[in-house]
Order: sequence, then C-alpha cells, then structure tokens
Amino acid sequence: MGTWTLIAPEGLLLAGALVALFADVLLPARERAGAWVGAGFAAIAAAVSVAAGGGTLFGGQFAIDGATQVARAATLVLTAVFLAWLAGAGLKRGRVREFAALVLFAALGSLLMAAARDWIVLLLALETATMPAYVLMGFDRGDDRSLEGALKYFLLSMVASLLFLYGASFVIGMSGSTLLAASRLQPGAIGVVAAAFVFAGLLAKLSAAPFQWWSPDAYAGAPSPAVAFVSSVPKIAGLFAFARVAAVLAPQTAAAGPLLVAAAVASMLVGNLAAYPQTDVRRLMAYSGVAHAGYLLVGLAAGTVAGAQAAVFYAIAYAVPSMGVMLVAAQYGETLDDLRGLATRRPWVAWATGLMLVSLVGVPPLAGFVGKLYLFTAAMRSGLVWLSVLAVLMSAVSAGFYLRVIRAMFFAAGGNAGPAARGSRVASAVVASCAIAVIVIGVASSPLMGALAFGR
Amino acid sequence: MGMSNLLSVVVFLPLLGAVISALVPKGSPGAAKWVAALTSGLGLALTVWLAAAFDRTASGMQFVTDVVWVQQAGIHYHLGLDGISIAMLGLSSLLGLIAVIASWKITDRAPTYFAMLLLLQVGMNGVFVALDFVLFYVFWELVLVPMFFLIGMWGGARREYASIKFFIYTLAGSVFMLVGMIALYLQTGTFDMVELARLGAGGTLGLGFQNWVFLAFFLGFAVKVPVFPLHTWLPDAHVEAPTAASVLLAGILLKMGTYGFIRVSLPMLPDAARVWAPWIAVLAVISIVYGAAVAFAQTDLKKLVAYSSVSHMGFVMLGIFSLTAAGLNGAIAVMFSHGVVTGMLFLIVGMVYERTHTRQIADISGLSSAMPVMGGLLAFASFASLGLPGLSGFVGEFLSLIGSWQSTVIPHWMTVIAAVGVLLAAAYTLWMVLRVVLGTPSDVVRGLPDASPRELTALAPLIALTLVVGLSWSSLLSFVDPAVKALVAALGGAA
Repeated sequence: MGTWTLIAPEGLLLAGALVALFADVLLPARERAGAWVGAGFAAIAAAVSVAAGGGTLFGGQFAIDGATQVARAATLVLTAVFLAWLAGAGLKRGRVREFAALVLFAALGSLLMAAARDWIVLLLALETATMPAYVLMGFDRGDDRSLEGALKYFLLSMVASLLFLYGASFVIGMSGSTLLAASRLQPGAIGVVAAAFVFAGLLAKLSAAPFQWWSPDAYAGAPSPAVAFVSSVPKIAGLFAFARVAAVLAPQTAAAGPLLVAAAVASMLVGNLAAYPQTDVRRLMAYSGVAHAGYLLVGLAAGTVAGAQAAVFYAIAYAVPSMGVMLVAAQYGETLDDLRGLATRRPWVAWATGLMLVSLVGVPPLAGFVGKLYLFTAAMRSGLVWLSVLAVLMSAVSAGFYLRVIRAMFFAAGGNAGPAARGSRVASAVVASCAIAVIVIGVASSPLMGALAFGR
Repeated sequence: MGMSNLLSVVVFLPLLGAVISALVPKGSPGAAKWVAALTSGLGLALTVWLAAAFDRTASGMQFVTDVVWVQQAGIHYHLGLDGISIAMLGLSSLLGLIAVIASWKITDRAPTYFAMLLLLQVGMNGVFVALDFVLFYVFWELVLVPMFFLIGMWGGARREYASIKFFIYTLAGSVFMLVGMIALYLQTGTFDMVELARLGAGGTLGLGFQNWVFLAFFLGFAVKVPVFPLHTWLPDAHVEAPTAASVLLAGILLKMGTYGFIRVSLPMLPDAARVWAPWIAVLAVISIVYGAAVAFAQTDLKKLVAYSSVSHMGFVMLGIFSLTAAGLNGAIAVMFSHGVVTGMLFLIVGMVYERTHTRQIADISGLSSAMPVMGGLLAFASFASLGLPGLSGFVGEFLSLIGSWQSTVIPHWMTVIAAVGVLLAAAYTLWMVLRVVLGTPSDVVRGLPDASPRELTALAPLIALTLVVGLSWSSLLSFVDPAVKALVAALGGAA
C-alpha cells in the first residue's frame, strides 16, 4: 500500500463515476441511485484523503502537503454534499446518473490539480476538471441558450488552456524541467511573456477579469444545478493551483505583482458593479464569482505564504455559500421574481439563504468575514494598503446586490410563483448544512487555518 | 459561577432567547414575546447585579474574561467592563427589555420579530464589553443584520429603501474601521484593546500613522453617530423603522459610534485625536445647529425627534473632543440621557401613531385634551430632551459645554455657537409641545383612549431614570468618572 493511498481518493472517484454511469443496469428502477452512489464514493474519498496524510509520488510530480490536503478534502466534501442534493432534488429533465458521473470526473480533475507539482500534470488535471464542465453547462441539450452558454464556455476555456500551455512551454524550455519547483524564468521580456501567458490562462479559468465575459452568458443558459457545481467547487483547486504557480513564478519576475494587482482591481470593480442590474440569480452569482475571484487575487498579490493561505481559506469560504445559494435557486427559481416571498413559503430555506448571502457580503462572524480578515491582513502586511481599501469598499458595494435577493425573499409578499416547489428533505438538509458550515467556518476558523500548511 | 462568566451570560443570553423564539411553533405565536420578555428581563436583572458588584473606585477593567479564540490571527475572546462600559451596558439591557414590552402587540411573524430583537441585543451588549478589537468588530457588525430585517420587514411604506440605505451606509463606514484595525494590528502585533490603549498612551505610534488610522476609524464611527454630513441615512431609517427598532436605533446604535471614539480613537491614537479635535468640534457644532434647524422645519413628529438626535449627538461629540474630564463625563451623560429620553419620545410617538395612524404634527394637535396622561408624558419627555435642569438632559449638555469651554483644543467661539444650539433645542421642542400637546384638539385625537397600563409600564423606568439622573448626577457619574479620569490622564493632560 504505502504511498499509493495518497492517490486512492482519485481512484475512488473514478470507480464511483463508472458505477454511477452504469447504475441503471444495476438498479434499473432507481433513476437517482447514481447520485447516491457518487455521494457515497466522494464521502469515502474525503475520509481517505484526510487519513492518507502527506507525501509525494511519481518523482515529485504529485505531492500532498497540509494545504493540499485541505483543498482536496474540501473539494471532496463539497462534491459529496452536492451529489446528495442531486439525489434528493433530482433534475427537471432526468439523466441524473450521467450528471453525477460528470460531476465526479470534474472532481477527479480538481483533486489532481491540487496535487499536481508538474506543468504537464497540471495541464492534464486542468483539462480533466474542465471538460466534464462543458457537458454539464450544456446539459439541457434541447435548450439553445444552454448550448450557446456551453459553447462560449468551451471556446474560452480552450483558449485559456492554450494560453496556459503556451506560457508553460516557455517556462519548461527555460528551466529544462517540467517540475514546478524547478521552474526558472530568464530575466527580461521572455520571462514576463511566459508568466503573463500562464497567469492569463489561470485567470480565465478562475473567471477573473479581464477574462470574465463568458461566465454570465454561460451561467444564465446552463441548468442551475450545473452552475451550482461548476461555479464553486472546482474553484478551490483552481485557486490552489494558481497559488502554487504564482508562488513559483512571482518571485522571479517583477511584472507578476502588478499583473495580479491589475487583475484583482479589474475583477472586483467589474464583478461588483455589473452584478447590480441583474435579475437572474445565475447571472448575479456569475458576477459575484468574478468579484470574489478579485478578492482571492488580492491574497495572491500579497506574494506571501500568509496570502496564499488566506486565499485558499477564502476560496472555501466562498465556495460553500455560493454553491448553497445556487442550489436554492435551482430548486425554487432562478429569477428574483421566483424567489419573491420565499420567506413565507419556505422560511427556513429563506433564512439559510439569507445567512449565506450575508456571509458573501462579509458580515462577521461568518466565514466570508474571517476569510476577508485573513486576506486583507496579508495584503496590508505586504504593503498593499490601497488595494485592501478598495477591496473593503467593494465589499460594502456588494451588499447592495446581495441584499436585493434578500429583499425579494423577505420584504416582498406574494410573488408570482405559486405554492412552494415540493421540498425534498435531503435537499433542504444540504442547504441547511451549507448555512451551518458558513457559521462554523467563521466562528471556528482556527483548525482549518492551522491545517493550511504549505510544504514545498 | 464567577462574575466574569456572568458578563458572558449577559451578552449571550439573548442569543439563546432568539433561538428559542425562532423555534416557537406556528400554533402559539404569542409565546415568542414571553420568551423575549423573560430573557431580556433576566438579562437586565443580571446587569443590575453586575452593577451592584462593580467597584466604582477603580478605573481599570473588571469582570475580565480572556481566552484565545483564533490562535493564528491572535484573536481573543476578551470581555470586561469599566465604568463607561457598564453605563452603556445598563442602558442597552434596559432599552432591550423596553423594546420588547413596546412590541407586545406585534403579531405579524412574531417569532421572527422577537428573535431579531434579541439578536440585536447580543450585538449591542457585546459592543460595550468587547476588549478584543476583532470581537468588537464582530458585535459592531452583528447589529446591522437584525436591524436591517426589523426595518425591512416591519417598517413603514418606504421600508425597503430605508433598510438597504441603512445597511450599506453603516457597512461602508465600518469597513474603513476594519482597515484601520488591521493597520493597528500590523503595527503593534495585537488586537487587545487594553494593550492598544496602553501602547497609545506610551506614544509608540508615529503621528503620521496615527493620523490616517484615526481617519479610518472616524469614518466608521461618525456614520453611526451620525456626524454631519454623514447623517442622511438616519431620518429615513428612523421614520420607516417600527417603534421598538427606533428606540434601539436612537437609544443604543447611535451611542455605539460615540463609544467607539471614547474606547478606540482617543486612547489608542491620542496624538491624532489632539490634531483632529478642532475639526471634529467644527462638525459637532454644525451637527448641533443643523440638526436643530432642520428639526424646526419638520411636520412629521418622528422626523423631528430623529433630527433632534443629530443635534444632541453633536453635544456628545463636542464633549468627547474637548478632551477634558468634564467634557467626557458630559458626553457619556448625554449618551445615557439621550438613550433614555429619546427612547421615551419614540415610544410615545409610536403609541400616538398606533391610535391616530398619523404622525403629522398638524393632525394630532391638542393631544392633552383627549389623552391627558399621554400628553403630559410627551411634555415631560420634551422638557427632559431640551435640557431642563432637574431632568437628565441637563447634566450632560451642561458638562459638555463646560468641557468644551475649558478645552485647550476647541476655540471659545465654538462653545458659544453650541450654546446657541441649546436655545434652538428649547425653541423647536417647546414649539412642538405647544402645537401637539396644547393646541386646539383635532378631529383625529378626539375620543381616543389614554395610555394603557402596559404602555405606562414601558415608560415608567425611563421616567424614573430621567428624574434620578437629573436630580442626582453622581448616581451615573460615580460609575463613569474614574474611567474618564484615567483616560484624560492617558491623553497627556490635554486639558
């Protein structure tokens, strides 16, 4: 056994995906059995990933330290929770099995991405994580908007991958090794170009400005459950990989810092301001995702271990409520009109959603606040005071559009939606657990922060 | 159980009440108000117990609890009381209970309503006893959420606009406080407010650094007070808020801002405080005169009280930034008295509104002929508000003016203008009394029932406090004075 247990979670996800895919052969009457099977496998994989500890495999191409473990465990737990929701709520047009299998494949890619310590492995992981996402976004194959969104996502994602690969090829050429740790940028323009291409590719994957324009259209066309997963869970590993790459490249080229700062500023401004006029929760959460990518970049721009830790913490603190809110939208309606008066129809769901939205604003003592406290402390320690001021101001601005959702749910009576969509107990439990997690991560951030130890 | 644990109980007891209230089954919505009344009542009783055990001769923190909360970030769960804190905690516990009694007739989504009212109490109590800066910030922001829902769900016609404006305005202010807080932490390596005050007095922080951190804190606190020109959220929020929320908004939330100046800005950044004091005094004087002038023009009774708050809080700011013992004692006395008196005014306005469904001064004239008790109480509260000697309002404004006259940082002419503000307050208040209480009875008020026993119960403790503090200043100031003296000494005898 030995070090092979390190990669056991990936194996479990692969097995789970295959079982889910063929679940109808095994359990023909149970359409949602695939999701349950997937949730079970993901949960076991989460336990295994924690128990397996740290170490390296494949000559250092695959390595797990404390921080990687946190990122992987968080990805797996959220995947399991998402699949449990899927099993409870189902999909409007069926085909739950395929959906569950695709989610597991995407999670598999995310796991690899977190552990990848090699440019080529990273690229492969990135693709493994993204390709199932194209299909998820276009899952309503009869719906033109879904297909349009998926196509936009596919094209941009491909371009992003190629940018990344192009940049990585320079880096590999200059350093004579494909290992991340061995990367050596030569001084001068070539180093800047290499770093810029790599960052551009990763920024696009993170839906950060100026590569954000695909996400609102893609999200608005896609089925909400797909958005709930794609917009949140893979971002943890994506951010984590970004942090790894930035930690290697940023010290070697002076251009990296300003590049990250510029992207952070643009993302925060575009995301928070463009979210205002949105009435579709999917579009709103798409811009919210852009804005939060901006906050994450503030942590990376700090260029310190503390900054990277804060960013990973924040990625988790973002992913949980973001997924929770989209799951509510998936169940109770995607427009603000649909959510109108939800507080009278489903009070507990509305309160859980309100709590998650308030955490996204950054109100203490919830997860979002603690994450921002870590982020801005790290940024200010690196002298990025004005960037932190902009970031906190934008947090205040963001209250405006998150509160609009709360206003629709609580302050308006009636609404055009009829009686509440039949609530699934499991789905409600998932939403509630997301809300509770937001409180727990905020009030007891110590263990999570303590586990976020960066090795090599 | 030690007394320091008791302090934690006082802070978090309403949280337990809020959870129980929210879980009250749909079949018995009336149970929620009893839960709220019992927890608030118990909280007040425990606060009184704390006050009885409090050593009034000491200037330091008492009943201290200090345990590590977040190891990595150096955040502690650190609570404690000095004389200033306990005065504010007492006010907060009292008004918390009164707000519950004033809401007795609420039936619309009652469990949620009372849960929000109790959650609000957690934040209010916590702010006044937190001694770790992050903890302070947590309580500070915690207040926003329940108040947002109270205004937005149970408010008047423009409640949605008012609630969001309130939330964003105050959040925008407090995020600057967050930046200042982090900057202080990076400079000193601690979030401990007692330690930060000690470092501040020791002169370890450079003036340039102090200046910009001071500015950041100023934005956070001044929005809450509110200081002109950051006051525009206040009339909207007050007018739309339900009565109990108005009482707590004026009675406690505004005081959080001035408490912040006293607990944070002055002790931690004394040099910057001296630099900025004259400028803030200018804003204070403008607030006093502007608030009074605008109050004159109001035709809505609730708006009149709201603008008068801007004016009264100007006296608090003037007293604080006189940087003298008299001024600070006066500022805290105004904070306390304004909480009591304005609470009373908002309660009465709410009671009148429940009967008449209008707050227009012209519509409710001649109140005393139909409701002699209610009219008399409105007159009483108004006299207390304008600072009649013998009632609580006088003590603080008098001391604030003395302090600002003694002050070496505030020019005398500002004190003179502020004193004119006292006359203006007398004028607009008396004019209001003349129209509302006396005046010819309007059709609206004729034949309406007078104050009920429940309403009198809500008002009685406030009336009593107005008299007690007004007749015996030391009943309040004996708590406050040692802490104020210590603060002024730490400021380097700027007086």
